[in-house]
Amino acid sequence: MDYLLHILVMVAIYAILAGSFNLLIGFSGLFALSHAAFFGVGAYTTAILTTGYGLPFPWPLLVGIGLAAIVGLAIGLPALRVGGEYLVIITLALQIIAVAIMLNWTSLTGGTQGIGGVPRIRIAGVPLDTAGRFLPLAVGVAALSLWAAWRLGASPFGRALRAMRENEAAAQAVGKNVVAMKLIVFAASAGIASVAGGLYAHYIAFVSAVSFTIETTIYILAMVILGGTGNLLGSVLGAAILVVLPELLKFVDLPPDIADKLRQVMYGVILIVMLRLRPEGLLPEHDARRARVPPGLGADGLGPLAPPAAADGAVTVEGRDLMKSFGGIVAVRDFSIDLRRGRIVGLIGPNGAGKTTAFNLLTGFLRPNAGTVRFRGSTVSGRAPHDIVRAGMARSFQDLKLFRRMTVLDNVRVALPRQKGDGLLHVYFLPWVVRAEERENLGRAMAVLRFVGLEGQAGELAENLSYAEEKLLVIARLLATGAEVLLFDEPLSGLDPGTMEGIFPIIRRLAEQGKTICIIEHNLDVIRGLCDWAVFLDEGRKIAEGTPEALIADPVLAERYFK
Amino acid sequence: MDLVLQLLVNGVINGSHYALLGIGFGIIFGPTRITHFAYGPIFAVGAYGCWASVAWLGLPVPAAALAGVLAAAGVGALSYLWLYRPFERRGSSHLVVLIASLGLFITLENLIGIVFGTDTKVVPGLSPDIFLWGPVVVTSIQLWQVAALAGIALALFAFLRRSRHGKALMAMTDNGEMAQIIGIDTVRVSLTAFAVGSAVAAVPAILILLKEGATPHMGFIAVFMAFVAVIVGGIGSFRGAIIGGYAVGIVENIGMWKLPTEWQSTIAFVVLFLILLFKPSGLFGRRVR
Amino acid sequence: MLEATGVAAGYGRKRIVHGVDLAVGKGEIVLVLGHNGAGKTTLMRTLFGLLPAAEGTIRYEGRDIAGRRPAENVADGIAFIPQGHGIFRTLSVRDNLDLGAFVEPDKSLLPERLDTVFRMFPILKERASQIGGTLSGGQQQMLAIGMALMHAPRLVILDEPSIGLAPNLVDKVMEAIAYINRTMGTTILMVEQNVKYSLPIASRVAVLKTGRKIYDGPPDPLHDRVELMKLF
Repeated sequence: MDYLLHILVMVAIYAILAGSFNLLIGFSGLFALSHAAFFGVGAYTTAILTTGYGLPFPWPLLVGIGLAAIVGLAIGLPALRVGGEYLVIITLALQIIAVAIMLNWTSLTGGTQGIGGVPRIRIAGVPLDTAGRFLPLAVGVAALSLWAAWRLGASPFGRALRAMRENEAAAQAVGKNVVAMKLIVFAASAGIASVAGGLYAHYIAFVSAVSFTIETTIYILAMVILGGTGNLLGSVLGAAILVVLPELLKFVDLPPDIADKLRQVMYGVILIVMLRLRPEGLLPEHDARRARVPPGLGADGLGPLAPPAAADGAVTVEGRDLMKSFGGIVAVRDFSIDLRRGRIVGLIGPNGAGKTTAFNLLTGFLRPNAGTVRFRGSTVSGRAPHDIVRAGMARSFQDLKLFRRMTVLDNVRVALPRQKGDGLLHVYFLPWVVRAEERENLGRAMAVLRFVGLEGQAGELAENLSYAEEKLLVIARLLATGAEVLLFDEPLSGLDPGTMEGIFPIIRRLAEQGKTICIIEHNLDVIRGLCDWAVFLDEGRKIAEGTPEALIADPVLAERYFK
Repeated sequence: MDLVLQLLVNGVINGSHYALLGIGFGIIFGPTRITHFAYGPIFAVGAYGCWASVAWLGLPVPAAALAGVLAAAGVGALSYLWLYRPFERRGSSHLVVLIASLGLFITLENLIGIVFGTDTKVVPGLSPDIFLWGPVVVTSIQLWQVAALAGIALALFAFLRRSRHGKALMAMTDNGEMAQIIGIDTVRVSLTAFAVGSAVAAVPAILILLKEGATPHMGFIAVFMAFVAVIVGGIGSFRGAIIGGYAVGIVENIGMWKLPTEWQSTIAFVVLFLILLFKPSGLFGRRVR
Repeated sequence: MLEATGVAAGYGRKRIVHGVDLAVGKGEIVLVLGHNGAGKTTLMRTLFGLLPAAEGTIRYEGRDIAGRRPAENVADGIAFIPQGHGIFRTLSVRDNLDLGAFVEPDKSLLPERLDTVFRMFPILKERASQIGGTLSGGQQQMLAIGMALMHAPRLVILDEPSIGLAPNLVDKVMEAIAYINRTMGTTILMVEQNVKYSLPIASRVAVLKTGRKIYDGPPDPLHDRVELMKLF
């Protein structure tokens, strides 16, 4: 009996670890493989503070959360610079360094001896010295930790994390501060993992570095992958399976050493088999049934996202004398452009003329070497992209950069401006404010989807859309930012003429409602059919501007266009 | 001063070892772009293959070494065919392949432990010669480590420059799609890369077996030192891997001058961390595309 | 020589080329024009076998080649010169040229071919030991063409050989292509943006727009740029 209860305690501890790890790798796409180090920070903090300073529960646990969060921030720093495989290797290196510190800082950690005699937790004078007595506390703390992880994951902040995972540049382009988000999620994930460490130290009454090595990180990783990345319930299930399954080996009469190795082989094989056969895990992140959206939500028209403004042709954006060079090659020079409220400007020119670079300069994705960008009279050049989006100037990407493994609805919802739920203070302490905002935002997002004609696909994953629908979603997501200035990079490329003409009125209506619009397009039909004004770029300079008809009929420009 | 000299010599010896690890890893990573963690346990397969051939089959050491090399090459080739190739076919992301590789890493390492046990395996009856060069002490195995790097580097150089497969491997390392365009069978080249890279890894593994014995965990540090050598030197360059290996070997040993020995292996990881953070293209490498 | 009927292709579920017919006769220089994103590159990659055709048939010298791997097409006398870096940038000029003949079983033919390439592009002979990536853009393009010639193809498919080159170099490259076509009888299928230099050497032109063919015929009517612009 005690043995069964022991297994349940271990499930509770590992569920905390798997859940917090999932926040990092599943929700945020940050493959930082140093989770066992956070676990260790929590365990050692509790062990040191209880044995050395006699601090009672729960204080060591709370100190551990703080310390682990700081360690998490430190380990998160590389994630600001590198991603993908580099992040994996760098964090594995940090994990190794962490274990080396645990082993070698003998005066603090007891070195290879570890720290024994961690006192039992006493509640109302009763020591929790058996699995049965410890279990309720373990389950309670695990529930609380997982609740914290779940609140974070299910909040608008969690949605923004997933958007960042899907595409960092696009997350910035809808106004998310990805630097802050990464650091916060590292701190949160590490803090929650340390709770598991504190519990573990009290329960086992002994900590040593061997419990917090790379093998442990891989063990937790296997739980997350098995359960399903991006699904916290999956992590609990994964933890349960991977804690219980190896126990079955106990029924076979094996030397403990061999059994331990077989256990590890099992994790390895499960990792491989899951990735081969069911990479989304037992409980996938996306559940089509839950994603169904109630019909009839959202008003017609854009409502508060497009406060009626006069399409009066007033200048909103002024780019002046912009210059950008890459390693000595000048991509854009002396580029000046005015964009006006209610007008659609087309940017045309041969391949490599610098059109997309010009967009990047206007929206802060590139810093100009010279020149300024002013928006509504104030200088925005030099500010971060997400800042410029929040100020009211947003852009789309030639290669779409949709949040592919998110629903159509979430692609739009994440882009809505000024969400209180993007801040953790609101998420944890004013949940009702966030709930009310979410209700309202659901309606706004549906209104945007209705505006472009995608409301029927709201619950669909973006990756399941047809190409034409993807293009519509790009427009919807851009609209959802509520920005006054919309820069479209090839919004219609690759569409057949019929579909294209269907999108024309959408863009025209936006201009009529007072948006400032600029479009890059290679298909001159689009420029002719949509734009009031066109700017011709070649070799990084503005060669001419005028009405589309005049530019396209100009033999000198035509000669340039075809070189 | 004598101590510094000895540390420097040790640095060169360890550097040769790391450089070999880096070359083997680089041969695989170059054309396939697979972050092959299981390189570690396959390295160990080389050592255990040699040990088993001596202890179980009674082969003389040179023949046993050859058997170890072949065993590693075989397991390496199979790891490509059975593990990585299906992921490639499906177009899985690099990260998925990397995690699968971690899965293979932990599986192989523990299988080795189950089959051979966790105690240190040594080749019996082997006593390396010891040379005293002034204040510096070296053993014959250490000299072998340096010689192995020189020999293998030259042999590989000839293979890559002269043979058809070697040229195809170089081409694919440079640009996989262009390799396809000129008619190279990229699957076969990948298979060759895994076999050759694993065979190369087996050599330093066998020398470690002769020097200090084999343990199932020996591949762990090996694959990380290979990363360090390749990343410090710059990904995609054989010369870089050699320079990177020596750089780490020397820095690590010079570090011993001032630091207690238990921190020795940590130095390399701190170096790795700093390089990845501040100069991910490596000290001598090109930027990866 | 090459006949594609109803070819549709794209990446994943994304169709870029919708049912294009394209025939290339022996000895022709067929030029494919179209705006960015019109599907030109996708079509070329599909014809060469780097991308699977979702629909349609591709016949080469009467044989069905749809679904064949690039390696088989190369061995069968088709060369493809991709956009941009059509060379191995870390290898020497000479190594690049040797690799161009990778599929040639009869190595005794190579010295003569190498000679031909060097006669056509003397600069490559001068720079034979230089690393490919350090050549100028124009020289890299010459090297890419030279590599293709090393296995004596009967059909060469070029994807925007002029990209990133200065006008005088574009002229040189086009001249070389015309020369290869004239003296070796090699059939050419070429995608271009640079109409000025490519149109004069073309024997026939196809214009793609949003993945469909909207013009196929002689080059002459397209010499009027304003008329051509209307097609874009």
